[in-house]
Amino acid sequence: MGRQRGGPVIELRNCSKRYPSQLGQAAVDALEGVDLTIRPEEFVCLLGPSGCGKTTLLKAIAGLVSLDEGEVYIDGDLVTGPGPDRAMVFQDFALLPWADVVTNVAFGLELRGVPKATREKKAFELVQAVGLAGFDHHFPRQLSGGMQQRVGLARALAVDPQILLMDEPFGALDALTRRLLQEDLLTLLDRRRKTVVFVTHSMDEAVRLGDRVVLMTPRPGQVRDIVEVGLPRPRPPDLEKHPRFAELLEYLWQQLREMRP
Amino acid sequence: MLQLSFLPPFSSVLRAAMDLIISGQILGNLRASLIGLAIGFGLAVSSGVMTGLMMGRYRAVETMLEPFVNAFLAAPRLVFVPILYALFGVGRGVQVGIVFLSAFFVIVVNTMGGIQQVSASHVEMARSFGAGERQLLLRVLLPGALPMTMAGLRLGMGRAVKGMISGEMFIALFGMGALLRTYGSRFDSAKVFAILLIIVIVALVCSYAVALVERRLTRWMEPAA
Ligand SMILES: Nc1ncnc2c1ncn2[C@@H]1O[C@H](COP(=O)(O)OP(=O)(O)OP(=O)(O)O)[C@@H](O)[C@H]1O
Ligand SMILES: [Mg+2]
Repeated sequence: MGRQRGGPVIELRNCSKRYPSQLGQAAVDALEGVDLTIRPEEFVCLLGPSGCGKTTLLKAIAGLVSLDEGEVYIDGDLVTGPGPDRAMVFQDFALLPWADVVTNVAFGLELRGVPKATREKKAFELVQAVGLAGFDHHFPRQLSGGMQQRVGLARALAVDPQILLMDEPFGALDALTRRLLQEDLLTLLDRRRKTVVFVTHSMDEAVRLGDRVVLMTPRPGQVRDIVEVGLPRPRPPDLEKHPRFAELLEYLWQQLREMRP
Repeated sequence: MLQLSFLPPFSSVLRAAMDLIISGQILGNLRASLIGLAIGFGLAVSSGVMTGLMMGRYRAVETMLEPFVNAFLAAPRLVFVPILYALFGVGRGVQVGIVFLSAFFVIVVNTMGGIQQVSASHVEMARSFGAGERQLLLRVLLPGALPMTMAGLRLGMGRAVKGMISGEMFIALFGMGALLRTYGSRFDSAKVFAILLIIVIVALVCSYAVALVERRLTRWMEPAA
């Protein structure tokens, strides 16, 4: 495909977010002074304990939350809201229950005013690409969790974003389904050069998928460490046997254990 | 002279119904009733869904309108007949007005509830794909609220028919309500029951029509096990 090399750079500069107190609950400092630069076409995994602000960070890049301090830049442009250069995949899939698979996949294109025939053709192709051929007119409730997230992924890919933001996309799936989706995600990305920011709880997943793993501290979230994965691409099917794999898991585990309160 | 039998045998009710139909009294009055019902209900649906959408989406609108909606919802509808009468004079205005007032507020409350129940993650998803406020309202919130809205329409239709009959009985000029009053004042119970029977059938058909639309529009929902 004729796409140019070199996607956008994402820069987070001194990002802080505090959720103000509500109904008598204390205010929450979700992020504090996060500095992070994500390289073009890189696959970055954000790893950290629950509640450390990973989703908040991802939403800041998506332009869905406003920061109290600091800024996010994409290729030097300040992020002030969502944009066509980014698309998100959600942990809870967030499929529209009243729309069938094709309509869900085409939703982003529909919002952009793409004519029905064009967007459904595109959606149809993506439904095939994510392995859901024949399920075009099923409703979300008729699909398994793994299939639903394939729809979520197809919906994000349909708008052809440069940046894919994924918030624990496979967190709700069983181990087997999860592994299959991980593999399929890498295959899909092979043919589409994208910058990916992938939030996960799983050290294993972070190492399997990422070029770099960003380790975050417990709340308020800060960057504790950034680990270069350095495993070969495409990732071999027997990645577990690679000495570097075990080494990385061990290192990440040490780091996470030290952070235990 | 007539004998006062409050429970006429069903056969004479049917005969009375036939008489009324053949004499053309039903057709004309039924037509007058249905026209008022259609206009009033149509206005109630369009403005009720709109108002419910605004109240469900915007806190300020909800705070402003909720006391009125609650008051109107609780007030007996016949109270409005004299007011409508003063506003529109005797005629179509009162009938349409009472139908409107009978259906409007349930539709508002249900739509509002439906909007507020739409999952925040759907709204966030749509925003992440660049939805503007208008798209959010039309593509996410309204369809998400649809099951509740449709339930409101069904309730509203029932109330509308009741309101219409009471209103027509009050102004006693046209419609099934007026016919009911005419024969009621003559203590012609067979005719009264015949008219009631026809009203009930019409009400059932109207509710069924709403239910049909509802089923069509909410087919994606899981049937309750
Ligand atoms: N809309 C909100 N209002 C108030 N507090 C919030 C909101 N969203 C998140 N928080 C708080 O901010 C903190 C960070 O939340 P966030 O969802 O970013 O964490 P996370 O790292 O994604 O957690 P998890 O791994 O469990 O998904 C949490 O303590 C959470 O309670
Ligand atoms: Mg999260």
